[in-house]
Amino acid sequence: MKDRYKNLFRIPVIAALSLYMGQEPAEAANPGLRIGKLAATASKRAEYTVTGKVTSAEGEALPGVSIVEKGTTKGTTTDIDGAFSINLTNPGTTLTFSFIGYTTREVVVEGATNLDVVLESDAKGLDEVVVVGYSAKKVRYLSSSVSTISSQKLRDVTSNELPNLLQGKAPGVVVSTNSGDPTSPARVVIRGSGTISASSSPLYVVDGNIDGSYNPVDVENVTVLKDVAATGLYGSRAANGVIIVNTKMGKAGKTEINFNNTFGWSEATTGNFRLMDAQELYDFQSTFNPRDPSVLKNNTNWWNEAFRTAFVNNHNVSLSGGSDKTTFYVSGNYYKEQGTVIENDKTGYNFRTNLRSQLTNKLTAAVLFNAQYTRDNYQNSNTLYDAYTNLPFDPAYENGAPTDGRSYPNWLGRDRENFLHSIQYNFAKAKSLRTSLDVNLDYDLTDKITLSSYNRANFGNGSGATYYDRRTKQGGANGGELYNNNNNNYRLLTSNRIRYSEEFGKHNLTLLGVAEAETSFAEYNTVSGKGLPAGQDVLSVATDILVSPTSYNEQVAFRKFLGQADYNYDNRYFLVGSLVNEFSSLFGKNNSSANFFQLGASWVLSNENFLKNNKVLSFAKLRLSHGTVGNAAIPNFASLGLYTISQSASYAGVPGAQPFQKGNPDLTWEKIRASNLGFDISLFNRIDLTVDLYNKKSEDLLYQKPLTATTGYSYVWVNAGSVRNRGVEFSLTSNNLSGKELTWETNFNMALNRNKILELSGGAATFRPGNRLPLAAGHDMGEFNLPVWAGVNPENGDPQWEKIVTDANGNVTKELTNSYSSVQTAQSRQFTGKSTNPKFTGGLTNTLGYKGFTFSAFFNFVYGNWVYNESRAYFDNDGLYESYNQMILAKGWSRWEKPGDVATHPKPIVGGNKDSNQSSTRYLEDGSYIRLRNVRVGYNIPVDAIKRIGFARANIFVSADNLWTGTKFTGPDPEASFSFEDTPGNSSIKYPISRKLLFGVNFTL
Amino acid sequence: MKFIKSKLVLALGLVSMLSCEQYFDPTTNIDETTALANESDVQTVTIGTYAFLNKSNYVYSGHIMMEYPSDEIAQGQISGNDFTRVYRYTHINTSTHATNYWSQCYKIIAATNKVIGFVSNDASTELKQLKGENLYLRAMAHFNMVRMFGRPYPQESGNNPGIPILRDGLSDEEATKLPRSSVKEVYDFVISDLLAAADLMTVKKSNIYASKEVAYALLSKVYLFKGDNANALKYANLVIDSGRYSLLSSSNYPSYFKVVPENNTETIFAVRHTSVQIAEISSMYISSDRSGAPLAQGVSGWAELYASQKYIDFLAQHPEDLRKSFITPYVLNGQLQTNKKLTPATPMYYINKYTLQDNVINASSPVYLRLADIYLVRAEANAKLGNTAAALADVNLIRTRAGLSGTSLYTTANVASAGKTILDVVLEERFLELAFEGHRIYDLFRNGRPMIRNYPGTHSQNNTPTTDVRQTIQPTDPRVVFFIPQNEIDQNKNLIQNP
Repeated sequence: MKDRYKNLFRIPVIAALSLYMGQEPAEAANPGLRIGKLAATASKRAEYTVTGKVTSAEGEALPGVSIVEKGTTKGTTTDIDGAFSINLTNPGTTLTFSFIGYTTREVVVEGATNLDVVLESDAKGLDEVVVVGYSAKKVRYLSSSVSTISSQKLRDVTSNELPNLLQGKAPGVVVSTNSGDPTSPARVVIRGSGTISASSSPLYVVDGNIDGSYNPVDVENVTVLKDVAATGLYGSRAANGVIIVNTKMGKAGKTEINFNNTFGWSEATTGNFRLMDAQELYDFQSTFNPRDPSVLKNNTNWWNEAFRTAFVNNHNVSLSGGSDKTTFYVSGNYYKEQGTVIENDKTGYNFRTNLRSQLTNKLTAAVLFNAQYTRDNYQNSNTLYDAYTNLPFDPAYENGAPTDGRSYPNWLGRDRENFLHSIQYNFAKAKSLRTSLDVNLDYDLTDKITLSSYNRANFGNGSGATYYDRRTKQGGANGGELYNNNNNNYRLLTSNRIRYSEEFGKHNLTLLGVAEAETSFAEYNTVSGKGLPAGQDVLSVATDILVSPTSYNEQVAFRKFLGQADYNYDNRYFLVGSLVNEFSSLFGKNNSSANFFQLGASWVLSNENFLKNNKVLSFAKLRLSHGTVGNAAIPNFASLGLYTISQSASYAGVPGAQPFQKGNPDLTWEKIRASNLGFDISLFNRIDLTVDLYNKKSEDLLYQKPLTATTGYSYVWVNAGSVRNRGVEFSLTSNNLSGKELTWETNFNMALNRNKILELSGGAATFRPGNRLPLAAGHDMGEFNLPVWAGVNPENGDPQWEKIVTDANGNVTKELTNSYSSVQTAQSRQFTGKSTNPKFTGGLTNTLGYKGFTFSAFFNFVYGNWVYNESRAYFDNDGLYESYNQMILAKGWSRWEKPGDVATHPKPIVGGNKDSNQSSTRYLEDGSYIRLRNVRVGYNIPVDAIKRIGFARANIFVSADNLWTGTKFTGPDPEASFSFEDTPGNSSIKYPISRKLLFGVNFTL
Repeated sequence: MKFIKSKLVLALGLVSMLSCEQYFDPTTNIDETTALANESDVQTVTIGTYAFLNKSNYVYSGHIMMEYPSDEIAQGQISGNDFTRVYRYTHINTSTHATNYWSQCYKIIAATNKVIGFVSNDASTELKQLKGENLYLRAMAHFNMVRMFGRPYPQESGNNPGIPILRDGLSDEEATKLPRSSVKEVYDFVISDLLAAADLMTVKKSNIYASKEVAYALLSKVYLFKGDNANALKYANLVIDSGRYSLLSSSNYPSYFKVVPENNTETIFAVRHTSVQIAEISSMYISSDRSGAPLAQGVSGWAELYASQKYIDFLAQHPEDLRKSFITPYVLNGQLQTNKKLTPATPMYYINKYTLQDNVINASSPVYLRLADIYLVRAEANAKLGNTAAALADVNLIRTRAGLSGTSLYTTANVASAGKTILDVVLEERFLELAFEGHRIYDLFRNGRPMIRNYPGTHSQNNTPTTDVRQTIQPTDPRVVFFIPQNEIDQNKNLIQNP
C-alpha cells in the first residue's frame, strides 16, 4: 500500500498502472509483499518450501533475481517468469532478494509458503520511471523519445530560471539567450523551429497539469518530451515539445531539514571584444577627423563604469517527512542575483508546500501550493548602450560627482548622456506575485478503474514603474516622468481522468480518458504622468498626464477530450495510440476545434529469447511513433477582420475607428505531423546509448504576412506553407569507472537538425523579401539573404558590394559597386547559405568521484550558426559616428589607408563612407562556440565529523559558470537567440553572459 | 450502484466541459462587418481616418521628407536616424521615413476608400460632407506622395512616373499589383477628387477637418504646382474671398503656433494633436523650458537641426521682421552657442514652430494649409500671369503683417532695381514666411531652381576640405525625389524604381 501511494504521490497514475499489473489494493503493512497465510499447522513443520514470484513495481516478472537465505549459502534464482522455489527449515528466517538495477530487499519468512516480492527500481537510466503525458512509465518501456534530467544534474549552473539550467543537458533541447540580464529568461527550442509567427516555446507541464509555477530549487526532475507520441496528448499546445516538471514530495520517515546556501560573484564576459581608450580613438580619428589634443585629458572607460563585479546568493530551507498516511514537503527560498550591469538585479522569494494524504483506502488527496514573489530592477537610462558608445574623451565625474552631459561644456559624445548622472535618480523596476494552488484527487473506484481529478488555480499580479527624475536627461523635457503599469491574471483548469486497466495473461491493456477545461483571463493597464517634483515617484504628485492611460483585457478558453489506449504483450511489444479533440476560443468560429492523433510502438529486443542473457547487449529497444499536434500560441482574434477603436483611432478627442487587421476567415490551426524512429541500447549494463531520428513537418504555418502598402493593411494572418525539421539526436552515458572509491561518468549528447521551408502558399518564393531572414521556399528558415559585401576597393578605400547584373543576352554576372541602393534589390540580394540555426548542438559532462570528493566539468557547444553582429553598425562603421566610441579591430582586420591597400575596412570618412554600415554580409559572423558552462568541485564531509554537531549530512562545493568560451565571434559574447520569437541570430548592444564563481554549503539536520 | 453514480457524475462533468466552449469578443477592436454597417458609423470611421494623420509615420516622417532637404535648416551632427540621409541627399532605397510615409499614406487612402464606396452621392448632407472629407484626405495623401516620389510636374510635363493611384472599388488582387501612374495622371486624379470633395462638402467644420474651402485651398496649390496658374488663381480667390479665414494680426502673429488650430483664424487645415499626442518634430529643432527659453541640447529635445545661417542672414535684412519670433537662438551668457562637432561649427538657432501648443513642451498641431500660404500662391500665380501689381500687393500684405513697412515693402521699381523678378520676391517671401513648414524644396524645384546650401552643416561633410560648406542640388538631380521603398518593390513587381 505504502509503495503504491509513494508512487501515487509522485506520479498519480502509477496507482492505476500497478492496479492493472495485478497488485491487490492490499492492506499489508509490509510494502510490496503479498503473503498468503498458511494454516497454523503449517508453520510447525520442520522443513517447508516457499514458492513465489518476483516482479517489478510495474508488475513485470523479473528473471534471474538472486535469492539467498541470510546467514547461509542456500540460494536460488528466479526463472524466466520470475518464479522461484526454495526449501527452508527455519520459520522466521530472512531471504535476501537482489537484482541489478533494483534495490536489494530482505524479507522475513514468517511461515509463508507463498511469497510474492516486488522489487523497487533504484531508478537509474532505463529503469527510471518518467512521466510522459498523463502516465508514468519506465524509460525501458517507452515508445517515445524523452530526456530526463535529475535535480542533481540540473542544478550545477546557478540560475533562478529553468531554461538556463537545461542548456546542453539533453539532445535536441537547444537553449539560447539574447542577454546576460538576470531578469531576462532564455529561450528553449526543441528539435528546431517549426513555426514563424506562432510561439516556438515548449509547453511546461508542472506536477501533472499544464502551466503552473515552480522554482528550480524545488524541482525533483525534468522530463523533456520530444516526439508526438508523448507530446501529442497536449494537443494544440504541444507543437514545440513539452517540458514536464515534477516538484519534490516528502517521504515517510524521519523529518529532514535541509539547508542549501550558495553565494558568489559574477562578472561580464568580454570575449574577443574591446573598445578603444582615449589615445586609441584619438589616433584613429586623427586620420579623418583630427581632434584637439586637449580631448586626451580624459580617458573614461565607460564599459567599466557600467559594469561591476556582481553578487549572487541563493538560500534555501526545506523540511520533508511524514507518516505512512501523510507526507509533506515545505520549502522556502531566497534568490538574489545582481546583474553585471549596474542597477540591474533580480530578487526572488519562493515558498512551496506539497502535502499528500491517503484519506481512505480508496481516496488519496494531494494539495500543492506555490507562491513566488519576484522583484526585478532593470538597467535603465541607456546604461548598456552608453557603455558601448560614449566617448572616452568625456569625463564620467567632476569633483567626485557624475557629470551631466547636457550641460558639461563641450561634451563630445553624440547623446550628451552620462548614465551615472541619470541613475542617481532614475529607476525601472517591476514586481510580481504568482501563486499556484493544486488540488488533486485519486479515487480507486474498483481494482481496475481509477478516477482522478486534477485542478489548478493560478493567480498572478504584477506591477512596474519607470521613473525619470526631472533632474536627469531622460526626465528633463517633461519635468519628470513616471510610467506605472499593472497586470492581473488568472487561469483555472480542471483535468478529470478515468483509467481502466485489464490484464489477460500476457496481454496488458490500459485505457485512459481525459476531459479538461481551462479558462484564463488577463488584464493590463498603464498610466503615466509628468511634472513630478524631484525625487518624488508617485502619480499623485504629477501635474499632468504624459500619455493617455490604457487598459486592456482578454479571455481565452480551451477544452480538450482525450482518449488513449496503451497495450503491451509480455513486456516485449508495446503499442500506444491516442486521439485528442480540442477547442480553443483563439480560433475563429469556423475552425475552433481540431482533432489530433498519435501512434507509438516499441519492441524490447532484449526481452526476446535470442537476446536474453546476452552479456554484451544488456538491453535493446526499437521505437517508432507518428502523429499530429497543433500550435495554438497565436494572438487572439487572428482570423477576424478588425477595426481598432483604441485611443490611437481617436482624433482631437473624438473616438474613431480605423481598419486594423485584414480578416482571413479561412485561417486554420497550424498542424505538425511528426515521425520518430529511435533505439536504446545498453552495453555491459554500463554504456547507455539512445539514438533518435525524426522528421517533423509543420503544415498550414500561421504567419503574419506583411502586405504591400496599397492593400491598406500592414499584415494578414495566413496559413503560409510548410516547414520541415529533421534530424538526428544521440545521447551517450558511460560509467567509465565504478569502483568503490573512484567513479567516473561521462555524458555526451549531440543533435543535428536541418530546417527547410518546403513550400509557401500561393506558390510565393519568399514571404518577406528584403528582410535579412526572408522565409524563402526551399531554404532554411534562418538563412540570411543579404547584399554580399565585397570588401574594400584598394584604389580608393570605398566599400564594395556584389551587384548582380543581367545583360541584354540574359547572361548574369557579378560586378562590384560602391552604391548601396543598387545592391539592396531583389536581384542583388543573395542567399548566403548561412543560417541562424546551428548545424549541431550538444553538451559533454564528465563527473569524477573519489571518496567524498566529486568533480564535474560541463561543456556545451553550438556549431555552424551565423550571427548578424548588428552592434558593429554603431561602433565599427568607418567614421559614420565620429561621436561614438569604436571597437578595436579584431584579429586579421585592417583599415584602408592609401591606394593599393588590401584592407577589410573602408577608408574612414566623417559621416561615413557610402553606407558601409548598412545591412550586408559584412557584419555576418560565425556564431559557433564551445563553452565551459560549469566546473564544480564538491566534498561530502564525513558523517563522523559532523554527527557531534547534530548534522546528518553536509557538503560543500565550489562552482564556476562560463569560465571559458572558444569562438571566432568578435563581440563580447557569441550567444544569440535561435528562437523566431526574437530576431534570431542577431546581436545588438549585447548584454553579455556572466562568468560566475560560487561557493556552496549544504547540510541536513 | 456506486459505479452508476460515478458514471452520472462523469456525464455531468462532460456536459459542463462542453459549456467551456465559449468565444470572447475583442476589447480594443471591433469586427469589420459591424464597423461600417450603417450611416452613424461613417462619422466614427472618418474620425479614425483623420487619426492616421497624427501618427509619427505620417506627420513626422512626412515633415522630415518635405523639410529636411531644404536650405532653411542645418544639421549640426550626424545622426543614426535615416533623416540624416534625407538632409544630406544621400537617400537609400530602404529609407525608414520613406517606407513609413508610403505605407501610412496608403492606409489613409484605403480607409477613405471604404467610406467613399459606402456613401452614395445622393445621401444626406451630413453623409455627403463626410464623403467629401474622405475624398479630400485621399487627394491630399496622393498629392503629398506624388511630390515625394515623382519628379516635379514641369519636368517632362508630368509624364515621369508618379505613384500608384489607389481608387475605391479595387479588388485585393488589383491593389497589390498597382503600377505607378504618371505624375500627370496622379495630379488629374487628385484634382478630380478635390473638385468632387468641394461639391459634396457643405458643412463649415473647424480647421482640423476638411471642408469646402480646404479643398479649394489645396486645389489652388495643386494647380500652381501643375503650372495651371489661372486655376490656381481661381481657387486661391475662392478661399480668400470666402471670408472664413483672416491673417493673424501682427501682435498675435508671434504666438501663431502656440494657439490650438481651432482658435487660429489663419489656419485652413492642421493635423490636430492633443497635449498628450506629441509630434516628435520639435525634439529635433529645440530644447527649451515651458517659457520657450533655450536650454542645452538633450534637455527637452535633441536640438540637432537649426535654422540655417542662410535663413538667419536673409531674415536679418530687416531686424524688425516678426518672423524672427520663430527662431530661438541658443544664447548662453550673451554668447550664441555653436555646435562644434562640425568644422566650421554650426550656430545653434533653435526653431520653435512645433512646440508649446497650449504651453506644453513639444506639443504641436502641424499646419498643412494656412491663409498666408494661399495669399502667396495667389501672388505666384499672378506673377506668372503677369499681374505684377496684384502679386506685389499680396506679398506686401504678408510683409506688412510681419511688421515691415516703408521701403521694406516692394514696388515694381525697387524690385527691378534690386535686379529681381516678381517671381523672385514671391519665392523669397515664401522662404521667409513659410520656413520650416515643408514648402521650400517644392517652391524651388517646381520652378526649376536649384537648392543652394552654402552654410555649415553635415551636408558638406564629404567635401574636401570639409571646411568647404557648399552644396548645390539641381532640380534635375535624381535625389530631388525619394526611392520607392524597396520592400514595396519586392512585393509588387510592377513598381519601377526611381533612378
